[in-house]
Amino acid sequence: MPSANPVERVTNLLLVLLDTPRPLSLRELTEQVPGYPDVGTEAARQCFSRDKAMLLSQGVPVETLDIDSDEQKGYRVDPEKYYLPDLGLEPDEQAALNLAVAAVHLGEPTGHHALAKLGVDAGRPSNAAAKAVVGLAPMGDVPALPELFDTIRNKATATFTYKSEKRSVDVAAIRFHGGYWYAIGWDRNRDAPRTFRVDRITSKVGAGANGSAQVPEDFDPVDAFAGEPWAFGEGERVEVDVAVDAAEATRVTTELGPDAVTEAAENGDIVVRMEVTDVEALISWVLGFLDHAEVLRPPEVRHAMIARLEAFATSGGAT
Amino acid sequence: MSPMPTPTPDRLRRLLSMLNWLAQEGDASIDEMAARFDLTPSELVSELEMAACCGVPPYSPDQLLEIMVTDEGVVGRLGRSHARPRRMNSSEGFALAAACRALLAVPGSDPNGALSRALVKLDRALGDVKVTIDLDAPDHLGLLREALSTHRKVRIAYYSAAANEMSERTVVPHRIFTSEGHWYLDGWCEDVGDTRRFRLDRMATAVLAAAFDTSDPTASPGDGGAGDEVPVQAFVPGPDTRTVTIAADPATEWLFETIPAATQVGEDGDRRVWEVHVGGDAWLERLLLRLGPASAVVEPAEDASLATKAATAILDRYRT
Repeated sequence: MPSANPVERVTNLLLVLLDTPRPLSLRELTEQVPGYPDVGTEAARQCFSRDKAMLLSQGVPVETLDIDSDEQKGYRVDPEKYYLPDLGLEPDEQAALNLAVAAVHLGEPTGHHALAKLGVDAGRPSNAAAKAVVGLAPMGDVPALPELFDTIRNKATATFTYKSEKRSVDVAAIRFHGGYWYAIGWDRNRDAPRTFRVDRITSKVGAGANGSAQVPEDFDPVDAFAGEPWAFGEGERVEVDVAVDAAEATRVTTELGPDAVTEAAENGDIVVRMEVTDVEALISWVLGFLDHAEVLRPPEVRHAMIARLEAFATSGGAT
Repeated sequence: MSPMPTPTPDRLRRLLSMLNWLAQEGDASIDEMAARFDLTPSELVSELEMAACCGVPPYSPDQLLEIMVTDEGVVGRLGRSHARPRRMNSSEGFALAAACRALLAVPGSDPNGALSRALVKLDRALGDVKVTIDLDAPDHLGLLREALSTHRKVRIAYYSAAANEMSERTVVPHRIFTSEGHWYLDGWCEDVGDTRRFRLDRMATAVLAAAFDTSDPTASPGDGGAGDEVPVQAFVPGPDTRTVTIAADPATEWLFETIPAATQVGEDGDRRVWEVHVGGDAWLERLLLRLGPASAVVEPAEDASLATKAATAILDRYRT
C-alpha cells in the first residue's frame, strides 16, 4: 500500500525501527515500510536518508550498526534510549516548568516542544504567568548553543572556528553572563582552560566520538570562566584600580559585584580593583564612563589611557 | 485563502505528541484534543485517521495503532510505552535546561521550590549538563517589584547615559524584565508625560511613592499589546534620535555588533561605514572614544569634533 503522505511514512518507519529486535537494512526497511519508491533504487535510498535525518533532528536516537549482510549497515531505535524513564513530576512541578518556559524568552517555541515530549501538561498559563520576565539571547542568533550542549551531554570533543582559527575544545559548561552565552572548557591545542563567546563561533560545531572529551578531573568551570572582556585576553594578569563617580557607581557595582569595591567615599564615589589580561579592552570599558571614571594605577595602564586620549585631542576629529 | 500547509517535521512532531498524550489519557473529546493541539476538529480527525493506519508489518489490524474516532470522541489503546516521556533533541533539551535555570537565577526565587525539584528530576533525564545563568541582582529590584505588585508609584534618581545627567522622576511601573544582561523598568514617567524605559543599574535611589489607580490609562503599557514578550532589543528609538554615519576600522566591528540597530552601509577605503541611531551626545561620545582615534564621524558635520571635545574633558581629570 503505497503512501504519498510523508508523515505517515515516517511514523511507520519509527514504529518499525522501535519494534525490531535486530537492526534492519535499508532494503528491509524500504520493503517493510509503505510509501518508499521501488526497493533498491537510488530514489528509495535518498528518501530513507531524508526520513532518518528528520527523525534524528527530532531527537529520535536512530542507531546505525554494522550487520552481517551484503548491505553492511543496519538501523534500529532502542526503545530504552528513545523513551525516558517516567520523571515522576508532581503537578506543582509541572506547573513550575510551564511557568519557566513561558517566563523565559529564548526566541523560539522549543521549550514548549520539550515539555510536550516529557508529557508535561502544557495547560494555558494564567495571564500573569505568561508575562516573560527574562530575555536570554535568542537561540536563533546563537546556533552553536544546542550543538555545544550536545557535546557536553555526550562527552564529545567539540571542534569549531573561532577568531578565524580552528579550535578543539572539551566543553565543560555553558554560561549566560552579561547578555552573552559563553562556553567554558579545556582547549586541546592550548592545553589550558579557555572561555569562548558562543555567538562568535563562526562554523558549525563538529563533535568527536561520544566519550572522546577529556576534561581534567580538577577542572572547575567557575574558576576557569573568563567572561569579562578585560579578562578575556591572553596577556599577563595585572591589577588595575579604577575610580568611579557616584553617578556610575551603582552600575559598576552591579556589574563587577560588591567585592570589587576597595574604597567607598561618603559622597558615593568608589574605587574598584580589577584583574585585567587585556588592557585595550579595559581602556574601552573605562572610556564608556566618559569623565565619570579614571584609571588610577598601575602607571603603565594610566599612561596608556592618557596616550589614547591625547591621540583624540590632537586628531581634531578630522576624517 | 487557505493557510500554509504545516511543514512535515512540525506535523510529525505534533502527531507524536498527540499519540503520547492520548496514550496517557486513554480517551478524550474531539473538541478538547483539537484545542490542545491547535487544530480544527476536522483536521484532528484526519490526522488521527492517518495515525490509525500506522503500525508494523504485516499491518494487519492487530499490528496497527489502536485509535478509534467516534462521534463522542477519541479512544486510544496505545500501550504503556507510548505514554512514556520521549527523548528531546538538543535544542529542546537546552531550551528547557536554560529556562529553568534562568528563572531560578532571578533574585528572590525559591531555591527549594517546585521548579528546583523539577530541575533535579529533569537533570536525571537530561544528564546534569552544566548550564549556568548569571543575572544581575540590582539594588532596587525588590523595591520595584513591591511597587508593581502593590500598585505604588516609585520616585527614582536616574542617571541618563544618553544625556549624561542625573534627574529625579516619578514613575508608574508597568513591568520589570531583564534582557541582554540588564534589568529594566518600563513605566509611565510623570515628569515627561510618556512611557519610558529605565535601566535598574542606573537608578541611584528608588523609593515607594503614592498608590496609583490601576484603571487609569497611564497604569498600563497600552500600545501594541507587546506586554507579554520581553523585547529582544532594549533600545527604543525616541523622537530625539538622530542618525549618525561613522567610518571605522574593521577591527572595531565587534563593538558595532553590540549596538542595537547599527547597520553597515558601505566601505570607505580601508574603513567600514556604519549608520547608528544616537539618542544623546554622551552616548555618541562614548562610542567614538571606544572606537579609537582612527574612526570618525562622517555625517552630520557638527558631530565631527565630538570625540576630541570629550577626550579633552576626560584628560582634564587626569591632569589635575
